Amino acid sequence: MQYKLTTCLLITLFSAATAFSQTISVEGEVTHPLKLSAADIGKMPKKEITAADRDGKPHRYSGVPVTAILQQAGVTLGAQLKGENMSKYLLVKSGDGYEVLFSLAELDSAFTDRVIILADQVDGQPLPDGKGPFRIIVPGEKKPARWIWEVTTMAVRFAKD
Amino acid sequence: MILLGLMALTFVSGRIPFTGKPYPLKYPASFGNRTNIPPGNPLTKEGVYLGRRLFYEKMLSANNKISCGTCHMQRLAFTDGKAFSTGIGGVPTDRNAMSLANLLWVKNFFWDGRASSLEQQALTPLTAPHEMGQLPAISAEKLRRSKLYPGLFRAAFGTNTISGEEIVKALAQFERTLISAGSPYDRYLDGQYQPDSAALRGMQLFMTAPAPERKVRGANCGHCHGGPKLYIELFHNNGLDSIPRDAGREKQTGIAADKGRFRVPTLRNIALTAPYMHDGRFGTLEEVLDHYSDHIRNSPSLSPVLRNNSNEAGGVSLRLSKQEQKDIIAFLQLLTDSSFITNPAFSNPFN
Repeated sequence: MQYKLTTCLLITLFSAATAFSQTISVEGEVTHPLKLSAADIGKMPKKEITAADRDGKPHRYSGVPVTAILQQAGVTLGAQLKGENMSKYLLVKSGDGYEVLFSLAELDSAFTDRVIILADQVDGQPLPDGKGPFRIIVPGEKKPARWIWEVTTMAVRFAKD
Repeated sequence: MILLGLMALTFVSGRIPFTGKPYPLKYPASFGNRTNIPPGNPLTKEGVYLGRRLFYEKMLSANNKISCGTCHMQRLAFTDGKAFSTGIGGVPTDRNAMSLANLLWVKNFFWDGRASSLEQQALTPLTAPHEMGQLPAISAEKLRRSKLYPGLFRAAFGTNTISGEEIVKALAQFERTLISAGSPYDRYLDGQYQPDSAALRGMQLFMTAPAPERKVRGANCGHCHGGPKLYIELFHNNGLDSIPRDAGREKQTGIAADKGRFRVPTLRNIALTAPYMHDGRFGTLEEVLDHYSDHIRNSPSLSPVLRNNSNEAGGVSLRLSKQEQKDIIAFLQLLTDSSFITNPAFSNPFN
């Protein structure tokens, strides 16, 4: 009994350690700055895509289109994505310090049919330790270097030159 | 602690500075221009000179026996050769003294990234009871009473007073000039140096990710220690322990994913900066290579880069041969910048 209790406790502790709950901050050139929890993101429209990771094998990734998040924050997409807004970019940051950049035009459905998602599942399972809880998936790119994991911040900025 | 935090804020905010003669920073274009210089503290020749003197000034410590240069010695690429350093009280520090090279580009200082500027960073060793153990205001008072310093502060900042804020500003200015870009590897990148065959094999392994299914051997060091500056500003758990004694960045952020995470340091001058890791646990580069080759410890926060990163299918560590480890170390020797450790502009002006 005691053994069972200890095991149970250990499992609980282990799960607590692995379930890295974090919010995603959406900030910068937005009308509504957001702090999105996993529950908030769970309420948004789902999108599933199939893409190959570094292992070269196709996987099913499920998540939310990045544009859905940006629209909720009031980022200039669609009809507003013209003029000076064409020099805006999205900088995505990871908890480990890694950063990758997308221009707004390469995300927007008015410009491209490619849908970049913020995934929380791969092949029907939560993302593995270290890569979750959220990871950007960019279908159709030869290198997955922009598949940034452990996303913590999405910052929209003007390029300054 | 709260007092220190408030002081840090006060010092870093600051007034519009007096402008002396601009200090021209020279570095390769490949290093990029994403530098970290706070708007309130542009580099001037006078500020850098003052900062150099202060870096080696023992009056900044409570017992007048320790300077920044005590634990950051130029001949060891500004480290001290010890696992942990001892300050005024003889009590060892919590972590290994980091090398001071190419800090101009760093955004988050210390092993856990808790300071966002060199100005803020300097306050910790200056004031920590077991390091230099003296409040900047007391240091300022001691310097005010000296013959030399009032004139140097006037030249650097245009003020007749000396403040703690100006002390850390001058130190930061000097540290930003500590640029290392003259190693054989830099000359190789410039087409001016031909490495021997062992170093070339080591470089190939360093830059290549292992892929046993395609019979590609590699060590993938460059994934985190790549680019001309030989680091990417990341915080990773590199598998030293399953349950780390020092929780690293987690202590700073409170986030479980940060457990056992530390800064990815530059590998510039790595042959000079033993012992290695945040706790100086490895005395030699051979031990470091042995760790990555055969002893990666799993944990929930282990870097994904070090998972499934092996030269054997299904392996949990790199599994490099002894010869491959030697070749990588031969490459690491090319990162030693002798001009950096002998540059008179960085040396102790009191000698």
